[in-house]
Amino acid sequence: MRKTLRQEWNVWRVGALPGLAIIALITVGRLAGTLQYLELIAFDYMLRFRPAEPTDERILIVGINEADIRQAQTYPITDAQLAALIRQVQQYQPAAIGLDIFRDLPVEPGHAEFVQVLRSSNLIAIEKVLPDTSGLTINPPAYLPAEQIGFVDTVLDFDGYVRRNLLGTPNLQGEYQFSLTFRLAEKYLSQRGIPLSNGKRDPRAMRFGEIELTRFTANTGGYVGADANGNQVLINFRSGYQPFRTVSMAQILAGTVDASWIRDRVVLIGVMSLSEKDIVNSRALIGRNPNLVHGVEIQAHALSQILSGVLDGRPLLQVWPEGWEYAWIVLWGILGISLGRWLRAPFLILLGLGVTGVVLIGLCYGLLLLGWWVPVAPALLVLLANGAGLTAALFYRHEQNLKARIQERQLVIDQTFTAIHNGPLQTLAILLRTVQDQEPSQQFLYGELQKLNQELRTVCESVQQEAFSQENRFRISQETTLDLDSPLREILYAVYSDTVRRDLPNFKTLRLKLPTFDQMDDPYLTIDQKKGLCRFLQEALCNVGKHAQGVTRLEVICKQENGKNMIRVIDNGTAIDSTSILENPALTARGRGTEQAESLARQLGGRFQRRSNSPHGVICELIWPVVKPRFWRFRSSESANRI
Amino acid sequence: MIKQTAGQTTQKFLVIDDHELVLNATVNALQQTYPAAEISTAQNAYDAGQLVAMLHPDLVLMDLSMPKTAVDLEGGRPEVGIQLLRSLLESYPTLNIVVQSAYAKALVRLKPMINAHEAGFTIADKSLPLKDMLTKVDWALQGLVCTPREMRTGLELKPEWLEVLKLACEQGLQDKAIAEKMNVSERTVRHYWTQVQDALGVYPETGKNIRIQTEKRAREEGLID
Repeated sequence: MRKTLRQEWNVWRVGALPGLAIIALITVGRLAGTLQYLELIAFDYMLRFRPAEPTDERILIVGINEADIRQAQTYPITDAQLAALIRQVQQYQPAAIGLDIFRDLPVEPGHAEFVQVLRSSNLIAIEKVLPDTSGLTINPPAYLPAEQIGFVDTVLDFDGYVRRNLLGTPNLQGEYQFSLTFRLAEKYLSQRGIPLSNGKRDPRAMRFGEIELTRFTANTGGYVGADANGNQVLINFRSGYQPFRTVSMAQILAGTVDASWIRDRVVLIGVMSLSEKDIVNSRALIGRNPNLVHGVEIQAHALSQILSGVLDGRPLLQVWPEGWEYAWIVLWGILGISLGRWLRAPFLILLGLGVTGVVLIGLCYGLLLLGWWVPVAPALLVLLANGAGLTAALFYRHEQNLKARIQERQLVIDQTFTAIHNGPLQTLAILLRTVQDQEPSQQFLYGELQKLNQELRTVCESVQQEAFSQENRFRISQETTLDLDSPLREILYAVYSDTVRRDLPNFKTLRLKLPTFDQMDDPYLTIDQKKGLCRFLQEALCNVGKHAQGVTRLEVICKQENGKNMIRVIDNGTAIDSTSILENPALTARGRGTEQAESLARQLGGRFQRRSNSPHGVICELIWPVVKPRFWRFRSSESANRI
Repeated sequence: MIKQTAGQTTQKFLVIDDHELVLNATVNALQQTYPAAEISTAQNAYDAGQLVAMLHPDLVLMDLSMPKTAVDLEGGRPEVGIQLLRSLLESYPTLNIVVQSAYAKALVRLKPMINAHEAGFTIADKSLPLKDMLTKVDWALQGLVCTPREMRTGLELKPEWLEVLKLACEQGLQDKAIAEKMNVSERTVRHYWTQVQDALGVYPETGKNIRIQTEKRAREEGLID
């Protein structure tokens, strides 16, 4: 168990490094604010595609539209006309009225009457307290007490969209002012016996009853270094095509509005005409004008979320502590890496990536429905980067594998050609010449033909062996094949056991064999690589049988040691052929076996060596590391063959 | 020989064979020789695996050909037995095992695991009489190793075994001293001895000292001076 864990750790330590680097990169990128734009867009769209909520019946919007203006035949609407509108509304006894129209200056006629109507205690008028680009603010109607004034300043994000609501802020004179939304909410809720107090978790936050309005901070959610002055909250926009009841001024004046739509409700009066520039942008709302929302509607959303939050328990938007958010991102990054670790086929990884991506988005969406804004964009980014990067690497590796296999095949063809050319063709040439030049004896002919037969058979056998390399089996000899899915040590022992039984000249003098076959597992060897290892051992043993003259002792070691696998064959014969290759650099012609062994060593990221043994004999060995970096190693094609 | 281990404290045996008749015959023979032993039986690999884990038997006597489970439609086949044997060797290094089989050659690939097995391991040819099987059971209970000649390619020794031989025969050391010198336990040295005996084909014979027999054979083979 501990060994497995350690092995797993080794794989991760090296293999997951690029993945961890990507996680680190994205984390740093998020901290630096580069992902802010993406996160806000994702946030908007998730809010936008929430299921529709029922219309908030606590709020009625009276929108003065283009038709109303046309009917009034003057703009701005005169004080007299507004006074008539408000008086008409008051008849139905609303809980509060918010007049979202600036009235710092009188618009005659009817100003005196208008002042009188406005002073009715349940009306809140507006001002603008924070300076615009020219440094100017808009005053409230001078004749109203401070409790009847609320500001309508909105805080825009750097992309010009509205996502937050300002509840309170100091004005230029340093006096703390409250917003229209806040004033209306306080009025409405206090009528229902719900007092305002300070937050429990955050004493600077506002609290109605048990519901705390979580203050927006500079790094809330996806924001990085945002303007968090005053007391702001995120707006949990009410979803659906009809979040609020909306009527026109004409409808009110005509008395066609159902009295129950007004009684004990909050009435917001504002201009809903495109000629008035009271328009802001929000992507979170579904509307006829994409992204454009009237100011009075934003006020309604901001007010509605407080009222429904306190009275209905509708979730207000909240975010995780920053540490949690980063843990969440790292978690998805690790998941991306594990996809590649456990699903090796590119197709499966893509599928897994699709599924986990959908799960991630689904989770974030679900959490948002519960009021939790969790980072979706960075998590998705890190998941895709880790998973897709891996898939690309695997495709690359697959191609490399194919290339290596084609090369191997070419080698086999070349070697077969050479074998035929050097063997049977030579014999045939001699035979032909002898037949032409002289009368050959029966015995000579028989001998030569027999030799030819033998040579051709040898060629056939070796070609046949190669032809089997498509399958999961390794052909040891004519009658025996090996299942390559068995443990490596069993496979190698079977090869050893079969090969030393072969009828090779030098095996006859062997007195003692010292085989060591220990546990040596490398779960990431491909079938081709296992085949290569079998061939290597077979070749090394055959070399002893063919070349090690007078060998009496054969040592075969296959084991795992210090994180490396080793196949080592040691004999004590006098190897004329092998040593001459070793000692004579002029003999550069290298056998096919050597070439294959070197190619195998390259593939495994290991080392092949043939050297003299003292006092006699040859040591032939292949050593390769058990755990190698697996994912995302583009460095060289040698490792590309290992998955 | 057989009487040596028979009838001591309660021994637990597990016999695995998918042929009921053979199973009964084997159990009867065992029960007669070891009247005090508790003998359990299994007819497939799954049951066998469960029983070994539950009962911790002293000895498992198994056929190679067996089905995977009680409802295995493919019937008995040697690969299943080999897989079971492989997992027994892996998980229970101190379990004495007797394999009854006619296909000893199929076991060649497990030789490295058998070499590493610390308890008795013998192979009984199914075509030989029951008496031979009982001898193999007795040897396995003594912790001996006995594999047929076909499983070896001439004289095959692991380097450690050779060292034990040399230390014992050339320097005259006792097991305890050998263990110290080789930095292994005395138990391991005894295990090496049984492996050496098997490699040299030396098995218990009444009235003969097995160590001396081993030394004699080793000298004949030229393993020691």
